[in-house]
Amino acid sequence: MTDRHHVLGLFTDDSRAAAATDRLRQSPWQLQKVFSPVPSRKLTDALKLERSRAGYFTLCGGIIGFISGFSLAIFTATRWNLIVGGKPIVALIPFFIVGFECTILFAVIGNIIGMLALTGLPRYDNLRYYDPRCSGSHFGILASCDADGLEGLTGFFQQQGAEVKVFD
Amino acid sequence: MSLNDTDLAIMKGKRLYLLFAVLAVIGVAAFFYGLLGQNPQRAWQAYLINFLVWSGIAQGALLFSTLMHTTKARWSGALSSAAESFSAFFPISFILFLLLFLGKEHVFTWLHQDLHGKEVWLNLPFLFARDFFGLGILYGLGFAYLYYALGSKIGTLQPRGKIRTLLHKYWASVDLQRCQSRKSTFGILYMLAFALVLSLIGYDLVMSMDPHWVSTLFGAYTFVKAFYTGLGGLIILAWLLYLKTENGFGLQLSDFHDVGKLFFAFCLVWADFFYVQLVVIWYGNISELTGYLIERTMTPPWKSLAWTVFTMCFILPFPVLLNRKVKTTPRLMIPLCSIVIVGIWLEHLLLLGPALSRDAVVLPLNFTDALISLGFLGLLLAAITFFLKLFPELGRVGKHEVMEWK
Amino acid sequence: MMNNSVSSEMTYAKIDQTVLDTLSPATRPYWITIALLLLGILLGAACWLYQIFVGIGVGGQNNPVAWGTYLINFVFWVGIAHSGTLISAILHLFRAGWRNPIARAAETMTVFAVCTAGLFPFIHLGRVWVVYYMLPYPNQRGLWPNFLSPLVFDLIAISTYLTVSSLFWYTGMLPDLATVRDRAEGLRKKIFTVLSLGWTGEHEHWRHFSRIYLFFAALATPLVISVHSVVSWDFALGIVPGWHSTIFAPYFVAGAIHSGLAMVLTLMIPLRRIFHYENIITLSVLENVAKTIILTGLIVAFSYATEYFLAWYSHNIVELETFRWRAVGDYSLQFWIMVICNTVIPLLFFFKKIRTSLAWLFGISIIVNIGMWFERFVIIVGSVAHDFIPHAWGLYTPTAIELGILLGSFCLFFFLFILFVKHLPSVSMTEIKETAFAGENHDG
Repeated sequence: MTDRHHVLGLFTDDSRAAAATDRLRQSPWQLQKVFSPVPSRKLTDALKLERSRAGYFTLCGGIIGFISGFSLAIFTATRWNLIVGGKPIVALIPFFIVGFECTILFAVIGNIIGMLALTGLPRYDNLRYYDPRCSGSHFGILASCDADGLEGLTGFFQQQGAEVKVFD
Repeated sequence: MSLNDTDLAIMKGKRLYLLFAVLAVIGVAAFFYGLLGQNPQRAWQAYLINFLVWSGIAQGALLFSTLMHTTKARWSGALSSAAESFSAFFPISFILFLLLFLGKEHVFTWLHQDLHGKEVWLNLPFLFARDFFGLGILYGLGFAYLYYALGSKIGTLQPRGKIRTLLHKYWASVDLQRCQSRKSTFGILYMLAFALVLSLIGYDLVMSMDPHWVSTLFGAYTFVKAFYTGLGGLIILAWLLYLKTENGFGLQLSDFHDVGKLFFAFCLVWADFFYVQLVVIWYGNISELTGYLIERTMTPPWKSLAWTVFTMCFILPFPVLLNRKVKTTPRLMIPLCSIVIVGIWLEHLLLLGPALSRDAVVLPLNFTDALISLGFLGLLLAAITFFLKLFPELGRVGKHEVMEWK
Repeated sequence: MMNNSVSSEMTYAKIDQTVLDTLSPATRPYWITIALLLLGILLGAACWLYQIFVGIGVGGQNNPVAWGTYLINFVFWVGIAHSGTLISAILHLFRAGWRNPIARAAETMTVFAVCTAGLFPFIHLGRVWVVYYMLPYPNQRGLWPNFLSPLVFDLIAISTYLTVSSLFWYTGMLPDLATVRDRAEGLRKKIFTVLSLGWTGEHEHWRHFSRIYLFFAALATPLVISVHSVVSWDFALGIVPGWHSTIFAPYFVAGAIHSGLAMVLTLMIPLRRIFHYENIITLSVLENVAKTIILTGLIVAFSYATEYFLAWYSHNIVELETFRWRAVGDYSLQFWIMVICNTVIPLLFFFKKIRTSLAWLFGISIIVNIGMWFERFVIIVGSVAHDFIPHAWGLYTPTAIELGILLGSFCLFFFLFILFVKHLPSVSMTEIKETAFAGENHDG
């Protein structure tokens, strides 16, 4: 494995960071990650990111929940096969409440599973190439290059107006 | 604008009015046909349903404008202008209300019943008077709001035509800041009146047709229906304006997305208010209350109508509106909103039918009812067109009316 | 136009600093407050323990009033929880930026209020040691919980609400937990490293996070409405006059938001002063809460009026008597406290001078919550005390044990909240920065 260097360029505003992202793509160096303290439209556009697929997890969870809720209520009602309170054994009108709550519960669980699966969290090793200022007011662009590209990459960031931090 | 364009526009306008007049005439003819037939009660039933549905759409649409103004919503300037055009139907609605009482023998089922003491509330003079004043106040406040809303938006422009010149004369005497603050005041008053008057109308003209049944949520349910259908009507009008006018009436696709979300929200609210009444009455199983429900949701011929209504007003719109792109696709939204409006029309039939067409074996719904409805629709469209032609600059106000949500 | 819910002098660094300063070591007044609240909790716990050993009869509930302060407190605390979700979820969907400064504290209020509420079904069980009967598992006789019962609906709804609000709260906090991690040292750094799950704010994280947060908000909204509807159905699905009413679900939801917003004011006004949040939680934010209270107060007033009107309209002698007695009978004091505190006093917020005065805001918020507590009293106690058969009419008075538990529950809520504000960021730094960020980017 070749020795790769990771360089982090820290910007104070996102338009310059977005511009740098664009230029980085045309350069020989590799863009790894872009850090930001708040979600930024400009950066999302510059990175040409697709819409997140998290919704499918939520939808699946919701469907499973809907079926489970009704199943639970209907199954348990049919275990005691007597008319109680003048209501039918399988009473869909009130069972809808159980189904609805379970739909929301499982949809939320699906949401969480989606988030953990898609973001890869919890993950503690990605703090290696990270600067604490990125959760404050700085936008960071992490790029990597091989050993001889280091000077060029550092120079590139400085040209874009960023503060540079080198990892290795 | 060149002379040719103006001619074209006038001709188009005249053609529209002709179309609406034809619809209205068809409606009136069908109504008289029904009246003179075997069962005049059916004609009056259709009249009542249509009066409630179309007035509700107009009242609900204006509520959109007052609501957006009061919450200082940032996105809805052009839509509010479109919504305000529905209020032109108010005078027509008021006249229709008065004419309703010509059919009092057929409309008010409790007129000759022994009401065991309720006559102090359910008697014709009192009912007429309170609803007369209620609608009068509601429409009056609506017009007051409209007056100041229009004044704020176009009061400084050059008027054309008699009505406009008169209005601008009045507007000139009020400065902009006073206009805005009065607009806000009347907006809030209209919303309060909307809740109270529509509840009253719901109790008086729908719930009391079965005089011994009570549902405390019925009033709120009525005004939720009105807002739901008002939004539907607004969306259809907004699409037509966006697609058929040169500058799209100042509307943007994001407006459709936002109002589509609001429509979706009220689809849920409607279904929630429907279910809430259903589950409480079903579960308590008290015979004074369940009779109403059993007749409408569990016995033929109304059972299938109940399912149709629920499908058209919730089961169909809900999953369709979940999708983001649908809200900005007119090919889908216009039919969907139309289905919802027809669904609420049928819902009124579901509630009123068993009371007005007692012991019906077959659903009391036929072609004549549809034609009468077209007549009412023609009147509403004529009113909206009249308004938009009277204030053509509204299409250019667009986002200038925006205020920030602070 | 700038969004002036956050003062324009707040830069990102200043926002971070203001919030992180609140996490610095606590002072003596703080520890004294915590100690006093803890005493209150222990008192409540002692009362409950006493009740477990001696029996449920140490409470005032009996025939005919079988549900007393335990249910009142339950509904009260669930109600408080609801406006937290309204503020954080529903207002997020409406893109109302003014909610950002108070969203974190409101969500926290929700979580702790649901925790407090969740204790009460246990407290008012006669045999709390067999509460596991409620779980859906087949016992020796093949008996399952009865999913037709509103109490089981409650169980499902409240546990769903607790799970969802906690997850929503925690997920929303992740970026902030990372911010604290990055500025902390020593043990605190280690704890927050674990808690923040390795969040780095990279583009992949934000891409999914924004969507997930939106779905959380979209799911929490119908949940809020359904949960308090389910709680209202504990009453409305019965046939008791004064309970069996279709308006209960939206009425309770509106009332819940009414009391919750008042509690938000009660919490935010001191918090703002003590933590120097004046530039973040500006007066206009509090004003907006006050305006929303006007709306919910009007809805509650509408509900009261509707119930009275329709009780009269129905000409049902039992309904008529129930509502007559509420206003002039043995609990008429509680009734009039309810009406005046909930519907009349909030109308004062129509006056700008009142809704921009911290003293009035704080005072009215306390009054509204007193009114809302008494509303639950009037509904829960007042209906069963005086229902169908005159021979069965009876009254109820809370006992000292019940009042001890009531005090304990309030102390528990404030204890948890005050513990939270010193150890976790009580204002969402990320969302405030987003507000400021959007403000800059919207110029021109």
